[in-house]
Amino acid sequence: MQRRDLFKLVGLSIIASASLLSPISLEASSVSSTSGKDVVIVGGGFGGLSVAKALKKADKSINVTVLEKREIFMSCPYSNTYLGGMQGVTFEQLTHDYYAPAAKYGYNFVQCEVIGIDREAKVVKTTTGDFGYNVLVLAPGIAYDYTKQFPSWDAQKISLVSRECPSALMPGSEHLALKRQLDNMNDGNIVIVPPQKGKFRCPPAPFERTSMLASYMKQKKIKGKVIVLDTSDGTFAKNKAFMETWSDLYPNIVEYHGKAPIVDVDVKNKTITYKENEVDVTIKYEVCNLMPYNKVSPVIGMAGLQTTKNGFVAMNSTGFQSKTDPNVYVVGDCVGHGVPASGQTAIWSGKRASLQIVAQLNNSTFDVKSGLPAQAANVCYSMVNTNPAEAIMVQHEFVADADTGNINAVPNVPKPADGSGKFRSKGTGKLTTEWYNGVKRELFS
Amino acid sequence: MERRNFLQIIGGIGTIAVFPSLIPTRLFAENGQMFVGYGKVKLVDALGKPLLAGKLKKETAYIFNYPFVGTPSMLIDLGTATQKDVTLKSEAGDEYVWKGGIGKESSIVAYSAICAHQLTHPNPKESFIKYFKKGEKTVSCSQDKVIVCSSHMSSYDPASGCKNLGGDAREPLASIVLEHDIKTDELYAVAVVGVGKFVDYFDAFGDEMEQYYKGKREAKAEVSVQTKTVELKKYSKEVIGY
Ligand SMILES: Cc1cc2nc3c(=O)[nH]c(=O)nc-3n(C[C@H](O)[C@H](O)[C@H](O)COP(=O)(O)OP(=O)(O)OC[C@H]3O[C@@H](n4cnc5c(N)ncnc54)[C@H](O)[C@@H]3O)c2cc1C
Ligand code: FES
Repeated sequence: MQRRDLFKLVGLSIIASASLLSPISLEASSVSSTSGKDVVIVGGGFGGLSVAKALKKADKSINVTVLEKREIFMSCPYSNTYLGGMQGVTFEQLTHDYYAPAAKYGYNFVQCEVIGIDREAKVVKTTTGDFGYNVLVLAPGIAYDYTKQFPSWDAQKISLVSRECPSALMPGSEHLALKRQLDNMNDGNIVIVPPQKGKFRCPPAPFERTSMLASYMKQKKIKGKVIVLDTSDGTFAKNKAFMETWSDLYPNIVEYHGKAPIVDVDVKNKTITYKENEVDVTIKYEVCNLMPYNKVSPVIGMAGLQTTKNGFVAMNSTGFQSKTDPNVYVVGDCVGHGVPASGQTAIWSGKRASLQIVAQLNNSTFDVKSGLPAQAANVCYSMVNTNPAEAIMVQHEFVADADTGNINAVPNVPKPADGSGKFRSKGTGKLTTEWYNGVKRELFS
Repeated sequence: MERRNFLQIIGGIGTIAVFPSLIPTRLFAENGQMFVGYGKVKLVDALGKPLLAGKLKKETAYIFNYPFVGTPSMLIDLGTATQKDVTLKSEAGDEYVWKGGIGKESSIVAYSAICAHQLTHPNPKESFIKYFKKGEKTVSCSQDKVIVCSSHMSSYDPASGCKNLGGDAREPLASIVLEHDIKTDELYAVAVVGVGKFVDYFDAFGDEMEQYYKGKREAKAEVSVQTKTVELKKYSKEVIGY
């Protein structure tokens, strides 16, 4: 059916093979070929851009096209330092144009929104035309799931809450809105609600944000608290390191509540209601950062890929091929591997996927177990203080998991060897900035 | 003898100084040479006196700038003999051979201190690259006696050509070819083997070149005659590593 629609759309009468389907729209015509080595990547975030660059570096004869709905790149990593008003951090630092790496590495960048995927015909449907592929890479990141978390909220309420209590787990207006609210806030509380269930983007991010906003309140002498309403009962990512920091630096500012599911938000009166010990508690807020449940982007549904119990994409063994279709790869936050949804993991997965794709397109093989266990495959720094800049870190080793057959991550939260005995340090604060600068170089230069 | 060692390297790849086209392909990367000879430069201490191989503190990282005024390299006497004739692979898949350490114990090595991942390097303010000596633990890998870039936790084994052990790097640190004059015990840097990241480095760190070397053009000049070699902890005010 998709195939018939496609023909209608472009007014073509007969197209014999999938590869001949491209180019079939004006915009697509400049970016498609019939080389038999067409790779289409959905999503120009951390995962997608990594695949594009790695493929072109490895094999210039592969025709790579990135389809991305945004006009400019914006980073979530490091954005909490911007929200916390850390000295020297600008919004510009979080952004980049897409054209520089596309020109440097020779891949195509097309700004458009993917609206359908026909795996049988090997075609991706977008707002600017259709793209044929030999291999498809899905790196569309996450979506929010307010509906599942708040079944009684209608679309209007969801829209209102997402605007007034911006989540800022996806880059863009949400971050700017949250920053504006922080800049304009009066004395009073900031309420932070981490995603209350399931796997979510950057497990330490809500707690890094807690630290950054506590630091902001302290620096600006704003009277109030940063109240965290969590459901994890204190066993969140890098919890010991965050807790130690909060009690050392923000003892009267950060107030952490575990097992505190949200009941409702009243944006008009700026109150939030949660349950604590079976009792509804309502508190006032000045700024509320509500991060809803995460789920995979709807793009995954468009491709009809099989998912795991927790809704992420079922992966084939320890590689990045989907279990459903050997011509469809998935990288970044959507993967069903037991790895953290982080930018660095997205880069790691992107590079690894590209090795397998190059092998597939050149009729050779890639051993998906090679290089495993991978030591220090993911390292994640979290800034916890703005003045002076101090941070904590976690490092993960990626291993092949005998039970799931997929990749699993083994975490380690070390202390620096600076004799302080604390998790946080100024050196780690500097490393956080260095990590971020390196990641930007990785994607863009 | 160490001179012979160096000549062996040259010998191993033909008379490259004269006929670059004769270098076997395994010593080439797709986009450039894997072996580049630069001027022969003497390693001297902070006072300008020749640095003597026998006087190097064992398992201590020193920094000297080579092959360019603005590109830091790391010198270490590992204390024990290194491996020899290690075949290494660049990310692009090109192979090259690292000959091994020099000095009396074949234990002295030198590498570009620009991380093969995303170019983190020591500067006068700070260094996120560090050598972890025997017994010293890093979270980046299970081995000691490694060079670690804590930016994204890439670790390298200096006793085997700085082969990448863990983290995000996909190729070894470029190695600096050293010559040892056994009569005077002096050390010279003469060439770079592997993938030097110098072009990308200069592109990425224009501001830093301005700050520390008066400008990019000045920083890009090749080092000549001699290069100051100081302990990493003196070269950088702060050395940070996990
Ligand atoms: C506050 C915060 C802090 C973080 N800090 C860190 C950190 O310090 N370190 C770290 O490693 N990670 C961090 N992360 C996590 C990191 O941002 C993500 O893990 C990473 O972005 C995932 O990469 P991805 O490629 O899967 O998704 P993304 O980077 O989100 O890219 C997905 C892209 O797909 C595009 N897209 C989606 N749907 C479509 C469509 N239909 N058509 C076209 N394009 C589409 C999107 O516009 C987007 O650009 C942080 C995240 C947050 C929110
Ligand atoms: S720059 Fe060294 S590990 Fe990334």
